[in-house]
Parts: sequence; structure tokens; C-alpha cells
Amino acid sequence: MTRARPARVPAGPSLSRRSLLRGAALGAGGLGAASLAGCGAVGSSGTTPLAFWNFFTGGDGERMVDLINSYRDEAPGVDVTDTTLLWGSPYYTKLAMACEGGRAPDLASLHASRLATFGQELVDPWDTDELAARGITMDQFPTPVVERVTVDGQIKALPLDTHPLVLFYNTRVCEEAGLLAPDGSLAPLDSAEAFLDAGRRAAEVTGVNGVAYGTGDALASFMLFWSLFRQLGGEMELPDGGPAEVDRDAVVEAMAFVQTMCDGTIASRTQDGPGAPAAFAGEQAGFLLIGPWEVITAQNAGIPFSMTQFPALFGDTPYVRADSHSLVLPTQAATDPEVRAAAYDMAASMLKNSLLWAEGGHIPALSAVAESPEYLALEPQSNYRGAAEVAEFDPSAYFAGSGSTFMSRAGQSLQGVGSGALTPEQGADDLIGWVDEQLSLGSPVRSAR
Amino acid sequence: MSAVGSAAQTTVPAPGAVLDGDAPGGVRRRRGPSLTTSRGGFWFVLPFLVVYALFTLWPIVYGLGMSFFDTSLISGGAQFVGLDNYARLLGDGEVWRTLGITLLFTLLSTVPLVLISLGMALLVHTGTRGQWFWRFAYFAPFLLPVATVVLIWQWLFQGDFGLVNGALGLVGLPDVGWLSDPAVGLWSVVVLTVWWTVGFNFLLYLAALQAIPQTVYEAAAIDGAAGWRRLVSITLPLLKVTTGLVLTLQVLASLKLFDQAYILYGGSGGPGGVAAPVLQYVYDTGFVNYRLGYAAAISYVFFLIIIVVSLVQAGISRRRSA
Repeated sequence: MTRARPARVPAGPSLSRRSLLRGAALGAGGLGAASLAGCGAVGSSGTTPLAFWNFFTGGDGERMVDLINSYRDEAPGVDVTDTTLLWGSPYYTKLAMACEGGRAPDLASLHASRLATFGQELVDPWDTDELAARGITMDQFPTPVVERVTVDGQIKALPLDTHPLVLFYNTRVCEEAGLLAPDGSLAPLDSAEAFLDAGRRAAEVTGVNGVAYGTGDALASFMLFWSLFRQLGGEMELPDGGPAEVDRDAVVEAMAFVQTMCDGTIASRTQDGPGAPAAFAGEQAGFLLIGPWEVITAQNAGIPFSMTQFPALFGDTPYVRADSHSLVLPTQAATDPEVRAAAYDMAASMLKNSLLWAEGGHIPALSAVAESPEYLALEPQSNYRGAAEVAEFDPSAYFAGSGSTFMSRAGQSLQGVGSGALTPEQGADDLIGWVDEQLSLGSPVRSAR
Repeated sequence: MSAVGSAAQTTVPAPGAVLDGDAPGGVRRRRGPSLTTSRGGFWFVLPFLVVYALFTLWPIVYGLGMSFFDTSLISGGAQFVGLDNYARLLGDGEVWRTLGITLLFTLLSTVPLVLISLGMALLVHTGTRGQWFWRFAYFAPFLLPVATVVLIWQWLFQGDFGLVNGALGLVGLPDVGWLSDPAVGLWSVVVLTVWWTVGFNFLLYLAALQAIPQTVYEAAAIDGAAGWRRLVSITLPLLKVTTGLVLTLQVLASLKLFDQAYILYGGSGGPGGVAAPVLQYVYDTGFVNYRLGYAAAISYVFFLIIIVVSLVQAGISRRRSA
């Protein structure tokens, strides 16, 4: 194939290759200079710039934006830039890298269960005097939460809420199954057998399952497992270097309950994370075991439902796995006192306005909000507020906590048990074996090395 | 996409298309400075070289160095540990387990991705009406982002109310725990991946099929060769080079399994961890558990394995074509 010779470039002022490259270089330099000028302009308009990172999406994300906007209204002199990232490891990886690199945001959200990693050196302690000056003292928070956010005697995170495992129930299904008390609330389920029996009876009504439960979901299965394990008196210590000190009998018994429940009738053996709330919303189950944030899903579905605190199925105290969305001050290479003061103001504002946050199902951490008539009147959200006092956080290790590898790996063992592929004994050995391996690898956190 | 064109070229060398000024009858070389010989050409290549060196070569060297340190993502002051990371991974059961999953996935996905794409290309090439529609329909899933593909299949695979189990129920088959049964957890990733990516191999094969000269078939027809004989004796042999290309690209793509399995199971590795590939273990070790040095060592061992697989494959295809 031949090609026509290209037409000659007409004579006159032409653009040589060299001048083209030179022009491009100058243009790039100009752009760079322009963007630098743009950076320098921030803050020069008399406002205080404040960067806030959070991991709230969906309904929680909308309420978080409302909380931020409330603060924006209160403090017009502060220019808040809010950045939302995907929760779990994507968020925690970015935040850890930003902290280590010295260019962290001024304020960030954090699960209190992640302080084993972040609390050592990636976040600054909250100054209790500064907090007190804004009307916030630590005696205004639930005791288990305060204990969790205290690292080496310092407050490393300011709790916004407590979010425990809760029990959703469909009032119509439960009424037909004879599971309601005379006042219309769920009759007490005070033992493992009572709970399983309630599940069977609800399944008879729905014709599908009694309990919607994410057998294949790491978060849902871990929340249930950890609640049962702690109710059984189980302890799990994860010392750096290992081996793990775990009450294996309690692990086996908790896993045995999961396997009994996931018999295909009481609960499905095949449900995953999104499937469980969908099944409950579709009235294919009388109960739902998940965190309180699914309240909006149930409300939007228009089904008759209510929520209650996860009951004590073993022992007398209804210990329940919980975590706390908290606010932290990420460590920065250089901290501007004015910006830091704005971060304190914004955190205090969010805590005081957390009634708005509670609508999404979370129990407000600040007692002034948690005990307010407005919150107490908020139903079914306030039904399970007692859970904050019996909250059980995840074991403390750099690889544990919400959205951690421990949670996803425990989810694998639990899913194996729930689906019937592993016996409870095999599931316990699988989980404990993995934990031992992790501990033997050593911690990446400097102070723990 | 450029591979499509190269497949066609390698399958059918165009006779007489030698651009050599000295060859009799050849096209005369264009006069003037050439980009490949003049010094100016270097400046045009420079931006690519800079980006390539910065974002490919340097990280390769840096990562290799990091694998000899106990580098942490969240703490400075890494200590030199020599070959400790490599010695440790030899005894780390999770490395070998996830590597085994990766190799199994490669085997399970490559076979259908080659055979199905070939079948699809043959069907479309036989002159079915409305070819544009089939080409579009077969290739369309490949255009979807991975998150969209996984979201679609997450619902299709639902155990209790998913469409796939619904279809099985219609023909009297029992429900399958696509996302919850450890025996099928990896197969679900295979099915999803085949649906998503088979269109690319299909295009490669279709281009190669279209490049086979019609005269060859006409000659075969004169000799009395019917459909099956033509397929076995003409089409498949002439597709050998393309099959080699498809196989190589597919093995390398399957070895890199990560995103669809990660999103499908929310990073949990699937039921019993049956769908946790080695790259997920590298990611979890380095970016979730912050142990970068160790993660670098694992990824270099994996890198070595990929190189060995590629060399073996290249050797086999060279011997076959010889």
C-alpha cells in the first residue's frame, strides 16, 4: 500500500519542534505556578481552613453532611472541607498514610476499636481542658466507651456514638407467631433455646426464615459471635509475638450456636451482607441481626417493625459487640493552633447536635443528648440505648477492630461454621490458628515492636 | 485493544508489504530526518521514559529493596532484616494457600475463557444475520467497570432470592450457595469473570478469523472438504498464533486476580477464604496490616512465579510454532 506524500508546510513563521517543546514546558510551568498560587490563596480570605475526613456513606453520609453543615452555620469564619472515603481498609490505609506522612486532615472519624493501631502514634490526644471549656467532660460518656478511647491515660478519640448489634423484629410476623408481650413489644428472649425457638416460630409465619442473618458477612457474623463469646465469659488476649490467649471452649460454644441457628430454617446458610436486610425488608424473616444503621432500610420498606437490645442468650448480662464512631485529631507535621481550635469547636458542635445522628440508629455518646426527651421519644431508635452500658469492643491488636483483617478472617471461619462446612471445633481452631500466625509475624506499630 | 490489530497482522502476513527501499519493487523510503535515527526523536520519547522510569522502574527497584527491611506503613525507622522476610514467607501457610487459589483460578478461568470466546467468534463469523448485534452483545460486558459487574452478580448469585437459583429451581435443581458455600465460592468468581471478560478474547479471535483469506476455504471446498474438516484442518491451525496470544494474555490476566474477588466478598476472601488470591494477601499484609516490607517480599516471590510461567509459556509456543 502506498501513501500520498504529505503536503509541504507552507513557508512563513512555522512552529519548530524545539519551540513546541519549549512552549509546552513553559505552559506546564505556568500551570504549576497557577496551582501553587491557588494553594496559597486558601486561608488568605480571612477564613480558617479545616479539613475533615470521614467514612460515612449512604444514609449516615447524608446525616454527617447535615452535622457538618450545622457547624458551618455556627462558624462562618471556618471553611470546612469534608472528604468522604469508603469505610474499612481503604479509609484506614489512607488515613494512616496521611498521618505517617505528616499531611493528615485536621479532624477525622475513626472507629474506637481501631485505636490499637492509631492510638499509639497516629493521633494526638484530646486536651480535656479544651474540651471542658466547650462544655464536654468525659463523665458525660458511657463507661465502656471511655475506657476504650483512653490510651495510656490519654483521651485519643472523642466518641460520637455507640453502635451495638441490635435485634430488629417484624411486629406483624412476631404477633402471628405469638412472640409479642401484651404491650406490643417483643416478649423477653432470655436464653439461647428461647431465641432459637422464636426463630423457628417466625419461620413458620414467613414460610422462609425466622432470622435474617448475614452468614457470609464478616461484620454481621463477627458482631453476633463476639456478643455470644463475651456473654459466655470468653476472653481473648492478643499479645504481640503471640501466642493468643483465647478461651477456646467459649469460641466453640458460640460457634455451635451460630451453626444451630443457620439450619436453613431459623436462619439461611447462604445469606450475605446485603441479603439479610433485604430479606427482612421483604418480610422473608421475622428478625434481623445487624447494626442499628439498617433502621432506615426497614423504615423505607414500610414494614411493621421495631428494634430491641440484643438479649442475654448466655449468662445474665446482655453483653453486646459494639463500636463507637469517634472523632480524632490526626498527627500532623505542623499544627496551626487556630485550626486546631476550630477542630475542637467542630467536634463539640457535632457531639451536641448528635440527636440528628441518632436518627440513623446510633446511640448518642454524649449523655446530654442520650438523656434528652427528644432522643427518648425517638422510636424505635431509643429502645436499645441500654446497650451502650454493656458494650463489648473487639480485642485489642493492630490487626483487629472494625473493617480489619481480623474481622474478615474471623468472618471466614464463622461462614465456614454457619454454612456447615466446618464443625464448631474446626472453626475455633481455624480462627485461633490464624490469630497465632498473625501475632508471630510481629507488629508494624513502632511502640509495640 | 492494540492486540486486536497485532493478532490480525501476525496471522496473515501481507505479501509484498515490505517497506524496504532497496528491495526490488519496494516502496521508496521517505526522505528527511527519521524519528528513530535523529537525535530529536529522543525528546519525543522522553516524557514516556520519565513516566516509565518514575512509576514503573523505580518502584520495582524500590520495592525489591524494601523487601529486605521490616518497613511499616505507619512507622518510620525500618531495620534491615536481610532475607528474613523471604525465610518467613516460606513458612507462612497463608502465602501458599492464597497462591494455590490464584493458580487454581487461573486454570479454571483460562480454559473456558479461551474455548467460549473461540466458540462465540466462530458462531458470529459463520455469517449469522445481524453480526453487529452479536459483536456488541458479546463485547458489552467487557466495557462495564468491575464494581458494576460485581454488583450485578452479587444479586444474581443471592442464595435465597437470586435469579440464578431461581432459574435452577424452575428446572427442579436445588439452590446453590454461590456466595456462601466454600465448594463453589471460587467458581462464582470464575463465572463472573468469564461473563465479564470473554468479549475481549472473542474480539481477538473474530479479527483473526476475518483475516483468514476466503481463497483457502474455496480451495478446500474444491478438494471436497466440508464444514468440520475445514474447521479442524484450516481454521484452527491458522488460529494457532492467535490462540497462543489469547492464552498468554489470559494466563497473565487471571494470575492478577484481585478486584472482582475482593469486591464480591467485601474483602473477606469468600466462604472459608476460598476466593482469597495471593494479591489480596499482599494487599492485606501491606495496606491493611501495614507490614510493607513483608508484603513486598511476597509480591516479589509472586513476580518471580509469573516470570517463570511466562517464560515456560513462551518456550512452549515457540516450540509449537517451530
